[in-house]
Amino acid sequence: MIRKTLIAALVALSAAGVAQAHHSFAMFDPAKVVTLQGRVKEYRWVNPHVALLLDVTAPGNAGGVWAVELTSPGNLTRLGWSRKSLKVGDRVAVEVNPLRDGQHGGGFRKLTLLDTGQVLQARLIDIEKNAAGGH
Amino acid sequence: MRALHGTTTAAILGLAFTSLVPAMAQTPPPDVIDPAPTAADWAALGKLPDWSGTWFPDITDQDKQITTNPVPWKPEVQPQVAFWDKEEKEGRPRGLLLNCLPHGMPSLILITHNANEFLFTPGRVTLLGESDGNRLRRIYTDGRKLPDDPDPNFHGTSVGHWEGDTLVVETRGILPQVFLAISEAVGVPLGEGAVVHERIHLIAPDTLAHDLVIEAPAILTRPWETRRIYYRNRKRSYDIVEGVCRQGDFEEGTDKWGNKIYVPTHQQDGNILPPPAK
Repeated sequence: MIRKTLIAALVALSAAGVAQAHHSFAMFDPAKVVTLQGRVKEYRWVNPHVALLLDVTAPGNAGGVWAVELTSPGNLTRLGWSRKSLKVGDRVAVEVNPLRDGQHGGGFRKLTLLDTGQVLQARLIDIEKNAAGGH
Repeated sequence: MRALHGTTTAAILGLAFTSLVPAMAQTPPPDVIDPAPTAADWAALGKLPDWSGTWFPDITDQDKQITTNPVPWKPEVQPQVAFWDKEEKEGRPRGLLLNCLPHGMPSLILITHNANEFLFTPGRVTLLGESDGNRLRRIYTDGRKLPDDPDPNFHGTSVGHWEGDTLVVETRGILPQVFLAISEAVGVPLGEGAVVHERIHLIAPDTLAHDLVIEAPAILTRPWETRRIYYRNRKRSYDIVEGVCRQGDFEEGTDKWGNKIYVPTHQQDGNILPPPAK
């Protein structure tokens, strides 16, 4: 029973973690995680979703330009991001939940700047926890 | 002579106007002029509870509320909810908000994933939400009554009063197209006659509860009572920032004169996509 409750709580937390403003992220497949390696092509710091375009160097179908969606600039600011967190040409590895229909789009999970090792996350649950902590 | 001529003209105009009056639908209500606030009115704001800072929704609890205190949908509405719920679960979410029209009431309070703030001025509480410039509610606390038949709009017309430290608000005149939403992909238009009652109050020093009673006789079997929780944060990183919903529909471009402009971006169902291969 305790285990069941714990699992339910984890599921709820993870749902809130990927939830974004304005549209559901259900078009991304939460059961699949793809790591895209490449360079930042564009970093759009705009509402309602910050977008990241990547030149992915993977071979085969996964190569080419990918579009990755994040939460809003306001929410990302609260997680320590800024419009200067990334710049065109940065070498990155980005974990995404890919679009279910196979197009080169994904819902953001985590980014690693390969030259520095810095990891950037964007989980709404973290903002919620910070806010619940107050102050 | 000139004066007489003027008087005659005025009389004729007067007669003409009088004869038009019966053709007009009705006389508009008197346009009340609000008195200028006094120093005492401003000072009185200091006695209200402190709701300053930025309020971030408890999204985890939003989801929990829907399962533990479900919406009393009418039986004939339930299949619609089930349909959209299944669509979302199967990866085809309907974007209720993709057209960038406002959430409206009560969905703004129920499902937002963004912060909001309150402004207190004499006779009014204003709620401003982040991420869209159109997340704005004016709640009049100057003692006025709700109009009998307000022009419908997205957030309705709201009047409120303070009962101790609780702001009690009634909202009517909400557009029937506004969704009663349980997520950004699942909701049903409110239909005619919706009324939202709110009791907004602190339940802990930095925790605000919106206790809602939602009447939507077109789609609910009974008024739905539910609560939404917001947490306060005073860090400057939580300050509300500008958000323009449609900005994401565009990307930066340049016109033929070299000016920076916005051009439509490549997207599908609200998802940014890479530009099509040439």
